[in-house]
Amino acid sequence: VTEVFSKTRNGEDVRITITLTNELPPTSPTCLQFYNIIFRRLVVWPGFTSSILQYEESIMLCADVSHKILRSETVLDFMYSLYEQVEERRFRDACAKELIGVIVLTKYNNRTYRVDDIDWDANPQCTFRRADGSEISYINYYKRQYNQDISDLNQPVLISQCRRKRGNAMVGPVVLIPELCYLTGLTEKMRNDFNMMKDLAVHTRLSPEQRQREIGKLVECMKKDECVQKELQDWGLSFDSSLLSFTGRVVQAEKILQGGNVFDYNPQFADWSRETRVAPLIHAKPLDNWLLIYTRRNYDAANMLLQNLFKVTPSMGIRMNKATMIEVDDRTEAYLRVLQQNITPDTNIAVCVLSSTRKDKYDAIKKYLCTDCPIPSQCVVARTLSKPQTALAIVTKIALQMNCKMGGELWSVEIPLKQLMIVGIDCYHDTLSGKQSIAGFVASLNEKMTRWFSRCVVQSRGQEIVDGLKACLQTTLREWFKWNKYLPSRIIVYRDGVGDGQLNTLVNYEVPQFLDCLKTVGKDYNPRLTVIVVKKRVSTRFFAQAGGGLKNPPPGTVIDIEVTRPEWYDFFIVSQAVRNGCVAPTHYNVVYDTSKLKPDHVQRLTYKLCHMYYNWS
Amino acid sequence: AYQDTMDKNFEGKQFTGVIKFTPPLYKQRYEFVQDLVRKYKPKKVADLGCADCTLLWMLKFCSCIEVLAGLDICETVMKEKMHRLTPLPADYLEPSERSLTVTLHQGSVAHKDPCMLGFDLVTCIELIEHLQESELEKFPEVVFGFMAPNMVVISTPNSEFNTLLPGVTVFRHPDHKFEWDRAQFQSWAQDTAKRYEYSVEFTGVGSPPTGMEDVGFCTQIGVFVRKYPQTREPGQREKPTEAAYKTVFKAVYPSLTDEKYLQNAVVSEVMFRAQLIKRSLLDHLLSEHEEYNDDPTERKLKLQCSVNCFSADVETLPVEKSTEPFVSGNVVYIPLRNFFSVPKVKQLCGTFEKFCRLITGKVPLNSDSSALMLDAENEEN
Repeated sequence: VTEVFSKTRNGEDVRITITLTNELPPTSPTCLQFYNIIFRRLVVWPGFTSSILQYEESIMLCADVSHKILRSETVLDFMYSLYEQVEERRFRDACAKELIGVIVLTKYNNRTYRVDDIDWDANPQCTFRRADGSEISYINYYKRQYNQDISDLNQPVLISQCRRKRGNAMVGPVVLIPELCYLTGLTEKMRNDFNMMKDLAVHTRLSPEQRQREIGKLVECMKKDECVQKELQDWGLSFDSSLLSFTGRVVQAEKILQGGNVFDYNPQFADWSRETRVAPLIHAKPLDNWLLIYTRRNYDAANMLLQNLFKVTPSMGIRMNKATMIEVDDRTEAYLRVLQQNITPDTNIAVCVLSSTRKDKYDAIKKYLCTDCPIPSQCVVARTLSKPQTALAIVTKIALQMNCKMGGELWSVEIPLKQLMIVGIDCYHDTLSGKQSIAGFVASLNEKMTRWFSRCVVQSRGQEIVDGLKACLQTTLREWFKWNKYLPSRIIVYRDGVGDGQLNTLVNYEVPQFLDCLKTVGKDYNPRLTVIVVKKRVSTRFFAQAGGGLKNPPPGTVIDIEVTRPEWYDFFIVSQAVRNGCVAPTHYNVVYDTSKLKPDHVQRLTYKLCHMYYNWS
Repeated sequence: AYQDTMDKNFEGKQFTGVIKFTPPLYKQRYEFVQDLVRKYKPKKVADLGCADCTLLWMLKFCSCIEVLAGLDICETVMKEKMHRLTPLPADYLEPSERSLTVTLHQGSVAHKDPCMLGFDLVTCIELIEHLQESELEKFPEVVFGFMAPNMVVISTPNSEFNTLLPGVTVFRHPDHKFEWDRAQFQSWAQDTAKRYEYSVEFTGVGSPPTGMEDVGFCTQIGVFVRKYPQTREPGQREKPTEAAYKTVFKAVYPSLTDEKYLQNAVVSEVMFRAQLIKRSLLDHLLSEHEEYNDDPTERKLKLQCSVNCFSADVETLPVEKSTEPFVSGNVVYIPLRNFFSVPKVKQLCGTFEKFCRLITGKVPLNSDSSALMLDAENEEN
């Protein structure tokens, strides 16, 4: 249900409630324009995502180009190839792991379903009861109804909990036959396949002008469709044929302060990686005693890394000794054993050179070095070090990353607000099994925003994530006090992972809990609290008009008019420059604010904080 | 048609006699047509009075049908559900060999239109009882005289069954202009058949409950078959007929008869097979060495050694070209014959010449176009 507001001619407020009664069938004007990525058996199906909402000045349609990946591989094909790859006893678990949660497209109708379960006890010869009460086997049903032959009689069936309503009744679970379902979307393996993603990007990563053209086609299509036009006319509505045009602002570029030096960056590119290399870091951690682990074949890469580190670290003020280099067999167990045997309380950091991006190896090493033997660690894939031209730049980034992990501080920007603590929170909810929620919590510990407190909270089902967050808040305030000898008078919380439907809970329930928590820290402790919800996956895109064409708006672009919501205190910031495609703006929604700061200042502060992400590339 | 829903309500009502059809009557009628299609395999089928296109949607799954047409007097009803007749994403992913075109027309069965000529089967399911007298009069001439398909199926209510239907006082549906008993329908049908040289047989769906067989089927059906094959060429008439219908919808399904889709399917299969052949070839070469490591870089290094040995052997081979895939330098060569022996490829292309023609320019081939080339390196990040 969507509510929009308007005014009658007499000035009376009118609230219109729009309820979804019917889904318009997909008319797919571009359906012939699919892209066949040969030999990956992938088809990219272009389409649009859209939403209609009330914005500051008017009701608008927000549309963006979206692509669906279709694969001509059926679930059955997939199960067979999986069977070849895993041991028999692990096959069912592997299927569950790979398939549950995946969206499939049925061969015989235009519907997609989410696979929620696999029923190994059933097969296509089982019968089911139809709406009219008769019983029929799946195999006969699909033959009769859709002329679809099912050849594998032993395959299990898939279960999908259909959440769609048909009329007034909830439709129960749907049974699907693996042979008749195509897989959609990309697998983890595909995402890791660099060449495939490159091919895909050619079709899916559109430049500003390409995007504008595609959206234009959608608008044209709507204008040409008689039914659409008639419907709109009956309501006295019509769509503008051009995109919304308005004026935005670009806030000034920041100065980067690093070890006594101050430098600017080109505001168009927002890249200061070269400048950073030649100035001492604010606080460099030494590499006195550290491990470098590699396999025999990667010896050259490991050596290259070491030599280049020697080259880049002096100018950044990092004191570095030669690492303890240890060669291992290329097996996960070998890495772990060496780490276990060689890490001492004096070890600053363990660096592992890996031969490939195999996730299981990486995961095992990281898990060991986070939970069993917690020390800072850095993994480097040998291939990234193979090109001599980029070696120096890459090693610089690695050195910076390593330094951060060891607790160093790289650079800062000028933050005019004093006694301010910034908190960052992100949540992940495991909806599939276990229903656990995990929150990551960080908080700044100094005014320069270069030192941070961090904690992870795991809450199981039944407990609330806010309890864990409160505990973090208390702990971090104690830490702050230890370092600064006073408590912050302002706290600004940036929160990711909150859907629109959860905003009310956040404001009405979680925020009061935070306020309560603050009171327990000190009598009369009354800091100003601001809570901002951050959304990185927005379908809104902005284009800058440049000499008749469109291009990406520069970093620092702030938009708080026209496309923001009237009932929210929200704004967009474009905080990066991209080489290909369209830049994705980030949406900020200030849901609670007692700071009395001007919106302009909140925006500028947010943009400044974007510069403090040390791990960009 | 909307009358079907009404019939459903009437027929589904519980009554002391308990008249309930399983499956529902409208479905039984459609399945009757489906069975006929499966038996006689018509290529061109038209449904007159197609309404919400449910029958057309069911028939599109019959692979023998190449042309499917619908006609109805009411455009709105057709437009509501006609999207169901568009090709599905699956039809683009894996186009089938059959070709299919679906068209919908708005118009009246009392008017002639050349678009309805040359059909193998014309269906009129629960249509005639909705026609005005003047329209009914013209109906036989238009359908049997002008359209003259090889087979016609007409279904209509059997009024003798109405005694078993509760709530039916005059007609089963307010839009019915008449409801015939068996004698009336058969008389009309036989007159029509005789006049236009068709034979007709009678049957029905919707069996009466035991003990009441004498009322006959709930729906009576006449199946008409042309006695003699068409002598005149359609279109060679005294004067050409003008179009009277309006085309409301048309969809051409992707098909392997369209070379564009055929080429896609062949190239896709070839590249997929090529990857499999390459992988098994490389695995085979490697397994000849003692230490097998699953790392690609390691494998590549080992491969280099084996390849260097192997290519030396290749040069000493006799002049006759081997058809086995082989590796030379950093490239895997797969002679084209390897693909043509794959049943699916053979089935798609028919001849080796056609296969070569289809893949030229779409896959990487060596200088004399006798083999497909692939990089021996693995494409991992």
